[in-house]
Amino acid sequence: MKTWLGAALLCAAAAGCTTSPYRFPSPQPSSRAPSPQPSSPSSPRPEVQEREPSPASVALLERSRADRDAGDYAAAAASLERALRIDPNNALLWIELAEVKAADGDRDQARQMARKALTLAGSDGSIEARARRLL
Amino acid sequence: MRRLSDTVERIDPPRYPALKRYILYGTAAVLLAFAGYAGWLMWRITTEFDDRAWDLPAQVYASPLELYEGRRLGIEDLQLELQRLGYGPVAGRLGPGFFRRDGGTISLWRRAFVYDGRPVPEQLLRVELAGGRVESLEDGDGGPVAIAELEPLLIGSIFPTHGEDRIILAPDEVPELLTEALKAVEDRRFEEHMGVDVRAIARAALANLRAGGISQGGSTLTMQLVRSYFLTNAQTFNRKFREALMALVLELRHSKDEIMLAYVNEIYLGQNGGRAVHGFGLASRFYFGKPLVELDVHEIALLVAIVRGPSYYDPRRNPERALARRALVLEQMRAAGLIDEQTATAAAERDIGVVTPDSRRTAYYPAFMDLVRRQLRRDYDDEDLEQRGLTIYTTMQPAVQAAAEEALVEELERLQPGRPELDGAVVVTNPHTAEVLALVGGRRTGFDGFNRALDARRQAGSLIKPVVYLAALESGRHSLATHIDDEPITVELDDGRTWSPKNIDGETHGQVTAVRALAESLNLATVHLGLDVGLERVADVFERFGIEPRGRLYPSLLLGAVELTPIDVTQVYNTLANGGFRVPLRAVRAVVDGQGRTLQRYALAIRQVADPVSIYALNQALVQVMERGTGVQARRLLPAALRTAGKTGTSDDLRDSWFAGFADGHLVVTWVGNDGNAAVNLTGGTGASQVWARVMRSVDARSYAPPPPAGAEALWIDYRTGLATDSDCPEAVFVAMTAPEVPPKAVACGSTTTRIGSRIRQWFRNRLQ
Repeated sequence: MKTWLGAALLCAAAAGCTTSPYRFPSPQPSSRAPSPQPSSPSSPRPEVQEREPSPASVALLERSRADRDAGDYAAAAASLERALRIDPNNALLWIELAEVKAADGDRDQARQMARKALTLAGSDGSIEARARRLL
Repeated sequence: MRRLSDTVERIDPPRYPALKRYILYGTAAVLLAFAGYAGWLMWRITTEFDDRAWDLPAQVYASPLELYEGRRLGIEDLQLELQRLGYGPVAGRLGPGFFRRDGGTISLWRRAFVYDGRPVPEQLLRVELAGGRVESLEDGDGGPVAIAELEPLLIGSIFPTHGEDRIILAPDEVPELLTEALKAVEDRRFEEHMGVDVRAIARAALANLRAGGISQGGSTLTMQLVRSYFLTNAQTFNRKFREALMALVLELRHSKDEIMLAYVNEIYLGQNGGRAVHGFGLASRFYFGKPLVELDVHEIALLVAIVRGPSYYDPRRNPERALARRALVLEQMRAAGLIDEQTATAAAERDIGVVTPDSRRTAYYPAFMDLVRRQLRRDYDDEDLEQRGLTIYTTMQPAVQAAAEEALVEELERLQPGRPELDGAVVVTNPHTAEVLALVGGRRTGFDGFNRALDARRQAGSLIKPVVYLAALESGRHSLATHIDDEPITVELDDGRTWSPKNIDGETHGQVTAVRALAESLNLATVHLGLDVGLERVADVFERFGIEPRGRLYPSLLLGAVELTPIDVTQVYNTLANGGFRVPLRAVRAVVDGQGRTLQRYALAIRQVADPVSIYALNQALVQVMERGTGVQARRLLPAALRTAGKTGTSDDLRDSWFAGFADGHLVVTWVGNDGNAAVNLTGGTGASQVWARVMRSVDARSYAPPPPAGAEALWIDYRTGLATDSDCPEAVFVAMTAPEVPPKAVACGSTTTRIGSRIRQWFRNRLQ
């Protein structure tokens, strides 16, 4: 028991020396994603679903792209916001919104939304590539 | 007037020329006085008319309900929402504004409407619901519909005076049958007279003479309008005279159509609790739950019947009287040729048809409207809001608002016995967009008054501990597996005094993991951790989250010695709940002017203010608050599969009970306390958490389970030792940290003694709370 504690403390202390206070996501996806087995009843396991975008958000995404092509960035952003109310963890919607902001000349929000997309991208490399272009 | 009587006293009979002069002056004075009086009346009536009749208060709408496949929605909820919007149930054929339920399917003919400048055509929709979800959504031809919205609910208008409400109608929103019926019943010579109908007055006077007192009016619609403006109901000759004069003035200045429209929008038609119901637009909603244009003949006749005496002919309290008068009105409508014999007879046989006053349907949302006003006040002045006919699209979700109100009201009632007067506040947001879905400012939800959600500044207590832990995780010096001392500590302050905080249960727990210290809200461990990280770092997180601790930093900040309003707390937790992005809370999406042009969109704007890995880890610890810590009492009230994250807050001497917590898509913040700051003897876990859980249970909450951000190692550790462990060990908790922080793996599920001992201790702790 004592040695375990010591080991844990040592490890935590060592970790402190090597991490910077502000970390940027590395291009490597996390290798130790939670395994989908049942656990003790008191502690439900987080089930991270990489959900397909719903037909509703796909429809809104298409509408947004049409508005964007027509140069109506406000309408394009409004449709994406509407989609995000339905599918808030969808990295694709966030990166599209970032790109609409960039097209509209809002570099700051483009960057911020690209960061948001990155935190949700999981192992989706294409989102990451699009985000990197905006950062 | 006084001068006139003075003059009369000084009359000196022998001096003839003087008398003549006095009479001349006297007459001039009387004429002047009368002209002045008439001028004053004219000024009053015209300013009143101009101010009232042609002001277009901003109309405020809720967020539209979105229908799409997979959406969580019960059939009863959809039906309730449709009824709120004034859709009528039918068994047979549909028309715009009607719906039909066949088993698990609701077919509805959605009305056409405009949302934020975007026209939405009318559409036949078939919604199949099963298992509390939208199973499929089709149009009238059976083609799939990806997404459809219902028109937004009108939740109020921004008027200069409170206690009064109305829905202002444009000329094309007023059915001709109504205006014709009003003329036929109330004022047959409306088109001809000049505001005063001498023949009607004479007829009334004769009737009054016979009755031996004043009982009949003979007032024209114009005079009724004037009377409504000044709200004096005394039946005196002077008042009648004044009314007639003002009516005359109005008729000189305005057309018949303008006067009729003002009448339709102004006249008093009933009482909804503390609120006067003015105008046929609101009355139609109030009595029938649908817009005026959709009313049938018998319904229009009932409204016309009510005009004569909204209290005497109240269709809810005095249905027989109201029905008798409705029959009379229908007969007069027939006599005037507005409807044929057959229609009149059929209408007379219809039920009275008034909806039961359901607080959820005729709801009034002063606290949310207050938030809307405050957001808009940054960009608009009161005059814009009250007069320019703006349309305001808000973020409120009526179903969530109703659930939040009900939860607060009923839980406070349950908690009340044996305590000082309890009150509370609830704020609900969608953390990803920071849209405010519901806001409750106190127990008396339908009344204007102290808005606790926005204005009650109270000690936050342990609610702010996550800020301390975030500072610790971001510092790189600590992870959730770090061991902290939960031992007595005495801090010497700058002024020489000392501070010795205690745990809420008075115990100490030796060495504890950071995740446990936060989950169980241990004060001593938190102070040790905060001092190790440094107050400056903690204050820095506060600032990034939008709260600036004023003045000098004291260690007591670590335990929440800072006063925050529920909406402040919501802003802080909103940033936690969406992964460390600060998004200003929004109650308004867009403002559209009277011509349908969008004046302003309050677009989503986000700013990353915290390290994503640290935030992700912190939120996993907040999940453990619910699973093992001070949130377990709230947790028990939620479905077993619903994973939420939250934190309790309790201030000194149990004066404030807080709870803030989130699932994916919903953040709920609740506060319970006493307005006079008396001790209410509730902790965050026993008071506010009960309200919180009830709100969380009734909204469409999904489990909090975002994907781990890049750079995060997700793993299971032992809650007590902090060592990496297997997920099926009893003390295993799911956490995250950076790769170098990952602790070594335990050889087994932790020592047997620890496991049994801790379980028993845990059991006791839960029971003792």
